[in-house]
Amino acid sequence: MAAAALSWALRAARQVLPSPCPGQVRSYYVNWRMVRDVKRRKVAYEHADERLRINAIRKNSILPKELQEAADKEIAALPRDSCPVRIRNRCVLTSRPRGVKRRWRLSRIVFRHFADHAQMSGVQRAMW
Amino acid sequence: STSGVLSTNKDKSAASKDSTPEGAPKRQEDGAETPKQQLLDIIGTMKVEVSYRKKLQQLKASEKKKKQAMNKLEGQESEGSVPQGVTEDTQRGKPLNPELVKAASAVASSLPRNKKQTESELLAQLRRHEETTDKQKKGETINICNVISEMAVKRQSRAQRGARISGRMSLQLDEDGQRIRPERSSAQSDSRSLKVGKRLNIFTKASTEPEHALKTVSSPTIWDLEFAKEVAAVTAQPPRNGFEEMIQWTKEGILWEFPIDNEVGMEDDAEFHEHIFLEKHLEGFPKEGPIRHFMELVICGLSKNPYLSVKQKVEHIEWFQKYFEEKKELLEEI
Repeated sequence: MAAAALSWALRAARQVLPSPCPGQVRSYYVNWRMVRDVKRRKVAYEHADERLRINAIRKNSILPKELQEAADKEIAALPRDSCPVRIRNRCVLTSRPRGVKRRWRLSRIVFRHFADHAQMSGVQRAMW
Repeated sequence: STSGVLSTNKDKSAASKDSTPEGAPKRQEDGAETPKQQLLDIIGTMKVEVSYRKKLQQLKASEKKKKQAMNKLEGQESEGSVPQGVTEDTQRGKPLNPELVKAASAVASSLPRNKKQTESELLAQLRRHEETTDKQKKGETINICNVISEMAVKRQSRAQRGARISGRMSLQLDEDGQRIRPERSSAQSDSRSLKVGKRLNIFTKASTEPEHALKTVSSPTIWDLEFAKEVAAVTAQPPRNGFEEMIQWTKEGILWEFPIDNEVGMEDDAEFHEHIFLEKHLEGFPKEGPIRHFMELVICGLSKNPYLSVKQKVEHIEWFQKYFEEKKELLEEI
């Protein structure tokens, strides 16, 4: 009985205090292109070491050429999504493929929106 | 304080009793100074350093003892034995152990207060102890009736009950968000506090340490953790100033700790020589030929890489070893 009263009081108190970070709660990826990009990143991460080693054998002037050709075939046999070239740095919030600043991972429009609302730390309108 | 002295006194006398069978032959041998005598001398030379607080305590203790002695005297009178004067040395039921008497006199001489008085009080206490032990030996236990008759059920007024329940339910908040403490002054002044009064000595102090150790290891249940999280979330007040805000941020990990430690998060246990001198991993490879040349280049590159751990470097080399073993037939054709 006392424990129930206490928990009720706790919940009441929590509702009164505002949460410090108001923002959207996103539970889905924005679109399918973003989903595919995420998949490519995961696969590229898994095969990154292998690709590095096989490429070290390929881009070589010391080892015999037959070995390098064999390595070529091996790397072609890896899944296509494992190469990092296929990854596109999309905007994290809108999945826009172009106009994305790398430091914030945001497209220019979203960046401007947040900066004007003073939600980007250390970002200020330039004036000189 | 004097009771503490008495208990140590008893221990010493017990120890001396244990040592007497050994001390007896010693006495026969030495004759001059027995260990007991030495003990008594030591006690006699011990000077109790008394501060003001201790003096007060001693005053109170001596007053208590006086009262108890007087009560005892009256009790003895009612029982019918002849009341003695201040110097009650012998002939009270059982005669006291002469060693205890000697020890009591030594202790009394070491204390700064009235020596005769303290001695008499100590002897009275000793006698009382003996009597209680005799009673227990005979089989007379603590009378529970006496104990319970002293206790009485306290009646709560309705207003107090209402105040208590309402105090629990409403966590009233100020404009700041600080909690208003429900007024308990009335309830506290009415009720008696828990620690006042004579000890009933019903419960014995059980040793709780091993239990505690076991408990903390075996049962942090999910519910306990949840409750702890809830309590922490509620009791966490918003920071009153910039310092508290920075403290909160540091705890969360948003703010680094100053002075800045460059190696936070890096847990490389390996020494530098394990990173640089990787030739010992090259034992599986042929000693001459292009493969050796290639692997030496690989090792040179790895030794210059500060971002990989030793484990990762070794994994690279082992992968190459496996790869070249698989391609052995191909290599032999060449």
